[in-house]
Amino acid sequence: MKITSYEPDNSTKKGYRSVFTEIASELKENQWLIYQLFKRDFFATYKQSFIGIFWALIIPLTSLATFVILSRSGLFSVGKISVPYPIYAILGLSFWQLFSTGLVASSNSLVKAGSMITQINFSKKSLIFASAGQSIVSFSIQFVFLMALFLYYQFTPNITILLIPVIILPILLLSLGMGLILSIVNGVIRDVGNVVSLLMTFLMFLTPVLYARPETGILAKITNINPLHYLVSGGRDLVLRGTISEPQGFLISSLFSVVIFVLCLILFHLTETKICERV
Amino acid sequence: MAYGIMDIGRNAFGLSSHSERLRPREFWAVNDVSFEVKRGGTLGLIGANGSGKTTLLKLINGIFWPDKGRITVKGRVGALIAVGAGFHPLLTGRENVYVNGAILGMSKREIQKKFDAIVEFADIGDFLDVPVKYYSSGMFVRLGFSVAAHSEPDILLVDEVLAVGDMNFGIKCLRKMHELKKRTDVSIIIVSHAEYVLRAWSQKCVVLDQGRVVYHSDSDDAIAFYTDEMSKRRLKEEKRNGSIFQSPMVKGVKFRNISGDLMDGINPGERITIEIEYQAEKKIKDPIFGIDFYDPDGQLIGGLYNSYESIRLPDIEGKGVIRVIVDPFILPSNSYRCEVKVFEEEISNMIERNVLETRLLVKKLNNMRGSTKLNQKWECSSNRDGVDIETTRNVI
Repeated sequence: MKITSYEPDNSTKKGYRSVFTEIASELKENQWLIYQLFKRDFFATYKQSFIGIFWALIIPLTSLATFVILSRSGLFSVGKISVPYPIYAILGLSFWQLFSTGLVASSNSLVKAGSMITQINFSKKSLIFASAGQSIVSFSIQFVFLMALFLYYQFTPNITILLIPVIILPILLLSLGMGLILSIVNGVIRDVGNVVSLLMTFLMFLTPVLYARPETGILAKITNINPLHYLVSGGRDLVLRGTISEPQGFLISSLFSVVIFVLCLILFHLTETKICERV
Repeated sequence: MAYGIMDIGRNAFGLSSHSERLRPREFWAVNDVSFEVKRGGTLGLIGANGSGKTTLLKLINGIFWPDKGRITVKGRVGALIAVGAGFHPLLTGRENVYVNGAILGMSKREIQKKFDAIVEFADIGDFLDVPVKYYSSGMFVRLGFSVAAHSEPDILLVDEVLAVGDMNFGIKCLRKMHELKKRTDVSIIIVSHAEYVLRAWSQKCVVLDQGRVVYHSDSDDAIAFYTDEMSKRRLKEEKRNGSIFQSPMVKGVKFRNISGDLMDGINPGERITIEIEYQAEKKIKDPIFGIDFYDPDGQLIGGLYNSYESIRLPDIEGKGVIRVIVDPFILPSNSYRCEVKVFEEEISNMIERNVLETRLLVKKLNNMRGSTKLNQKWECSSNRDGVDIETTRNVI
């Protein structure tokens, strides 16, 4: 029979190595729970909605429309893009959405669960991971739409499109990692959830998602050190051209994402009970 | 909020949080509580609202860690606390059973195996495939409870959840808990304000007051202690809220038998005179005197109130005696606790909360059957060889 003991500063007392084993066993035990929670959120979002799963397309389509209008009217230059703009934009947006919706969903997941957390002892990491599943679903829907666009523009993507499941891993890990830690902070300071949503819009304009990479100016400098840029454009390049045009940047960003993920997972594990007291 | 950030920060960096010290505006919700519950044991937690019972349950459940001391738990903990947690209103009952079961720690196989039993226990019929938001609150609770009850933990924590649902469901719940107890020897820790629940479910009880254990003993003793404490507190509260009299109004109660002798034990069916000595500092108009007789289980068996008989007493002031004559005194044999109360004009206007208590023993005689002395007259008629024979025997 399992013996559990609770003491002050439980996790920190046991040392960092046990933290890894605890996290690993927790995730292994709760695979089905993660799936159930994901299923619950999925059905809940789409059940009483008429537009249903097509919501996943509305946001990218509206952003696309905005930018098309802006660039056609000469107010904004999207830069040099060799493929039809809608394809470029939707591709970029899909990868971006993986990050932004995942992050917003995870940071709010603990607060949304509310009384469940303060009354039942269950794996809170599962909540975070389940909410990330949402972004994968929207990504898949947007990708189907992308296929339709490919057909319309008679554009054949590179064979490397099959590597997509692998290429999205770093950006997923980044969004999960940040989501883990932000969800905890959001439990204590509620502003965080709202700030994150606002920040996502701002960040999206800061990253060359809907426009080509700037060559000069302050935006170029920022883009150089923006890991999101490398992760998004890496995926985009792979589909459009077959190779990643900035491999070094992509690799560093991926490493960065993995590190963030592991760190935040540990941090979450050490601090998760603190928000049960306060959420 | 600042403390929250500090706590998270300290934990994150592996620093000890020094949680055993109180910071400004913090207080101990649970303080210096120690007890042990062995396998199959049952413990009741009693206490006023805010005494730390729910917090204690949450600590045992592992929702948050203690700031001082240690809790060791052997086996899986299940709680009948937040029934229907994780229920999403848009999902059907069927879908929610799976979600709820998963959250409570049941595996996929477990839920599938017990699904039919869960559904049958909840007794919601066709509503199983209807979104939960259309359920009545009773159905909601029944389904939630059913899932929780079938999760078969090693330790069951119950937090006043048996108060919800209709009577039939309450009985069902208790029966299910009985079954669990017999089958799996589960240990139960139960928080309740209902005496009968505590008596039925806990061998021992812990009484909590402001986070501390003030009594830990057998259920009967603990319940008595708690009710005493509560009445003492209520008294103090009401005295503070301004009862107009500084000294008790009812000074004494005496029981006299038919010969006028003082007794505190009478034979059943006798005539009894009850004398109430009072002292009224202020004039009381239309006084109502009430004497209630409670049996050892706390049941009100009988009482004497002049207002019930539409008898009006004259206004009283100063010292005096009120006499009530009961002939015959037909209460069954028992040891009664008597409460004497005084009201002005209406029963809602009770003057003296400081109720005078005394005891009266109604004896059990040898030629009595059971605890009630019945005045009887026996008759017999029979027909033998065509001749009517009547024999009458009177017994008084």
